[in-house]
Amino acid sequence: MSALRLISNRTSQQALSNSDYTWDYEYYEYGPVSFDGLKAHKYSIVIGFWVGLAVFVIFMFFVLTLLTKTGAPHQDNAELSEKRFRMNSFVADFGRPLESERVFSQQMAEESQSLFHFCINEVDHMNKEKESQKGPSLESNTHFQEVPKSSGMFEEDVHCLTKFNIPNFVNTEQNSSLGEDDLLISEPPITVENKLVMQTSHRILD
Amino acid sequence: ENISDFSLNITDCAQVVVPEEVFFTVAAAGILENLLILIAVVRNKNLHLPMYFFICSLAISDMLGSLYKTLENIFIILCKMGYLTRHGDFEKKLDDAMDSMFILSLLGSIFSLLAIAADRYITIFYALRYHNIMTLRRAVVILAIIWAFCAGSSIAIALFSYEAATVIPFTVLFPLMMFFILCLYVHMFLLARSHAKKIASLPSSTVHHRANMKGAITLTIFLGVFLCCWAPFVLHILLARFCPHNPYCACYMSIFHVNGTLIMCNAIINPMIFAFRSPELRNTFKKMFYCSR
Repeated sequence: MSALRLISNRTSQQALSNSDYTWDYEYYEYGPVSFDGLKAHKYSIVIGFWVGLAVFVIFMFFVLTLLTKTGAPHQDNAELSEKRFRMNSFVADFGRPLESERVFSQQMAEESQSLFHFCINEVDHMNKEKESQKGPSLESNTHFQEVPKSSGMFEEDVHCLTKFNIPNFVNTEQNSSLGEDDLLISEPPITVENKLVMQTSHRILD
Repeated sequence: ENISDFSLNITDCAQVVVPEEVFFTVAAAGILENLLILIAVVRNKNLHLPMYFFICSLAISDMLGSLYKTLENIFIILCKMGYLTRHGDFEKKLDDAMDSMFILSLLGSIFSLLAIAADRYITIFYALRYHNIMTLRRAVVILAIIWAFCAGSSIAIALFSYEAATVIPFTVLFPLMMFFILCLYVHMFLLARSHAKKIASLPSSTVHHRANMKGAITLTIFLGVFLCCWAPFVLHILLARFCPHNPYCACYMSIFHVNGTLIMCNAIINPMIFAFRSPELRNTFKKMFYCSR
């Protein structure tokens, strides 16, 4: 930027004659720079900057992978209760009617409550399934047919984790089954949204 | 001939010159790629969503950056060929306008990245309310505010670029925004990790580790690319303001054209890591190219 040349010229006006104060597109004829008596290598700022940047990026990468590795599966129960608390707070948030389309929001609230109960039950049942190898029974009023498929769904999740996808399916999956003005939440979108809650974070970062 | 102590020893730290062909190729590729994204989003009605509007905003700022560099090079060539004078008033004004376009591009990039990160954050943590929180109108309003702010700041910075008071906020804004974006993504990443752990309770737990490694790699790429492409230039501005006559600083500033090329490379890489990840956008491109045959 030749504006920067302006900066350097103004600061050095005492040292230079006025003829050097020009707009010049051939950059950076820095007049009064003496290269005598340099203690370190002359490109030391360049080298230091790039090395520092590389170190920082690698450090960030290792911190992120360490975040991956800390926490073993036996911490699942603690995380599960924390997750349940969070889901309940989501539900509490959601209980408030939104500013417009109250019918829509109330339907969404009911569906989300059942959805979250379903999620919680599902994870509970996943744990039980490990021990008993039996199909779980649900007291929730949604998607009994989803439960036997739940392990299949998680395997599909796991396959999906290897894909690189931008999380668009909040919109696209709803767009494919609902219109903008469609206030009816039919059952298929619930399964979509169930997948959505579990998969969104993976898809963004994968 | 006696050379005074204050004369530039030309053999030390000469300007590192990027060949013009490389320069123009990189710039043209950046402009074309981002233009394609804009066209694709405009033509496909399915892509009229807040998320894609933010990606378009990023594409516009990348295009502006590449356009600035291209125009600047054209002006240098015109000056060398003698069509433009070096001391004219018109050239000064043109130069001011181009500088403000460049700063607009930088600020636009930063704020677009912030908007994309915030949009993804809302998608994850407020998934079911997303449609109500991030309506199309709100996204357009947010973008209008961002661009108005960036335009105002860029004009102010270009006009008052000799004040330290503009250089310091400019250079402080950059790491602040990066840190904020990093925090948003790390929080999302932690949620992904807790989900993956639940999935890992299944026998197929080896995939879980690989998937989270990919998450770490993706996040590092996002932020690493932006840092590596823009930080050299921001450091250049700092050094030009505060130590233009220090020989070490002068040597750093001699690689200015390389820094400029890096910024244009960022314009090429950004679409790949943001826009082209979306299957919908890729399908739109395929349709565009197959229809044109």
